[in-house]
Amino acid sequence: MWAKGLKNCMRIVIPPVFWLGVWQLAAMAVGRELLLPGPAAVARSLCALAATADFWLSAGSTLLRIFLGLVWGTAAGALLAVLTHFSPWASALLAPAVKVIRATPVVSFILLVYLWVARAAIPAVIAGLMVLPVIWGAMTAGLAAVDPQLLEMARAYRFSRLKTVGLIYLPSLKGHFTSGLLTAFGLAWKSGVAAEVICPPASAIGSRLQQARLALETADLFAWTLVIIALSLLLERLLRLLLERGDAR
Amino acid sequence: MIRIRDLTLRYGDKTVLDGFSLDLPDSGITALSGLSGCGKTTLLRVMAGLTRPQGGEVRGVEPSKTAFLFQEDRLLPWRTAARHITDVLPKERRGEVSHWLAFAELEGEGDACPASLSGGMARRLALARCAALGGDLLLLDEPFAGVDETRAARLLERLRALGVPVILSSHQAAVLERCDTVVRLDGPPLRVL
Repeated sequence: MWAKGLKNCMRIVIPPVFWLGVWQLAAMAVGRELLLPGPAAVARSLCALAATADFWLSAGSTLLRIFLGLVWGTAAGALLAVLTHFSPWASALLAPAVKVIRATPVVSFILLVYLWVARAAIPAVIAGLMVLPVIWGAMTAGLAAVDPQLLEMARAYRFSRLKTVGLIYLPSLKGHFTSGLLTAFGLAWKSGVAAEVICPPASAIGSRLQQARLALETADLFAWTLVIIALSLLLERLLRLLLERGDAR
Repeated sequence: MIRIRDLTLRYGDKTVLDGFSLDLPDSGITALSGLSGCGKTTLLRVMAGLTRPQGGEVRGVEPSKTAFLFQEDRLLPWRTAARHITDVLPKERRGEVSHWLAFAELEGEGDACPASLSGGMARRLALARCAALGGDLLLLDEPFAGVDETRAARLLERLRALGVPVILSSHQAAVLERCDTVVRLDGPPLRVL
């Protein structure tokens, strides 16, 4: 029992210690903090940043923008999937447009949207545009996979449309939607921060990343990158928990 | 009397119904018997208005007042047995759930989802759901598939007690001998022997 606990503990502790060691050795080999700061320097920088109000304001603003992008992209993707599934005309009209959005590089979108939208709104618009085709694809596949025998049963047993949606469509779509949302979340996060770097709003993690780069504050650059990774992992875990709780109900 | 006249139905090159005509009683329990694939399911589906024939008509059946039991159970994997019954009952009849579970000898299985039911239990749940939906006519496609003969006989008597005309398809001798009318069929194309 004690040996098993120790083994589990080692399994958790050893990988990060190993990679921190590799990082430290690499930093010592390079020997210039400007090119590659060590873990201690980055930790100091992170602590200093976290002590400022601007750090929390920037992190909060980025979170809000990406959340808004995720919400509108998910809603639009789901709505378009329903339209293109049930209407051949809507499918002929909209499906190619969604495929074009999916194939367009995010940088092209950022630069184009920069021309049309206020700078503060760009990350949410970009995050939503990246989310939309993923949710559309997942929902379209889900709608196509709904069992036609169950739909025929619903018609034969005189279920109302609302009942058919609640009892057949929504439970059938749950798996597709969940996996689509988790993929879309990662994309929203990366594209939203990229948009903040290219078109920096007043308060944003991406803006601080850009400032650190221009000021050659490499330790700050690393610290902000760590913040992005940590928030992404944390929020993805939170999203998974929420979706699992929804499943349990 | 249910009058089936000159039904014609082809699936590609296969002719399932070729001017098929038959009169069926509109009371009691009537069984359609015949080899698998002869066209019994197609005939029941046409009578229920689920499949449109290319020609002919069925008189004496109102599809919107008919309850149809599919050949497959068509249960919802995410709904409990009790919910399957509730789903087809209007609000004022929601109290009948335990009655219909008892009808199918599924007392104590109300909270079970289809995955945890045996094949026979799932079939009985599908039958109970269909009977609970009710109507002027019950059209049952292989209602006792996977159900043992003794239990099938009990279920048949409970169907009779509902007082609604029943037309069913079956291969089981114990079922056929308890029906009021047995029509022996062959095909395709479907014909009365």
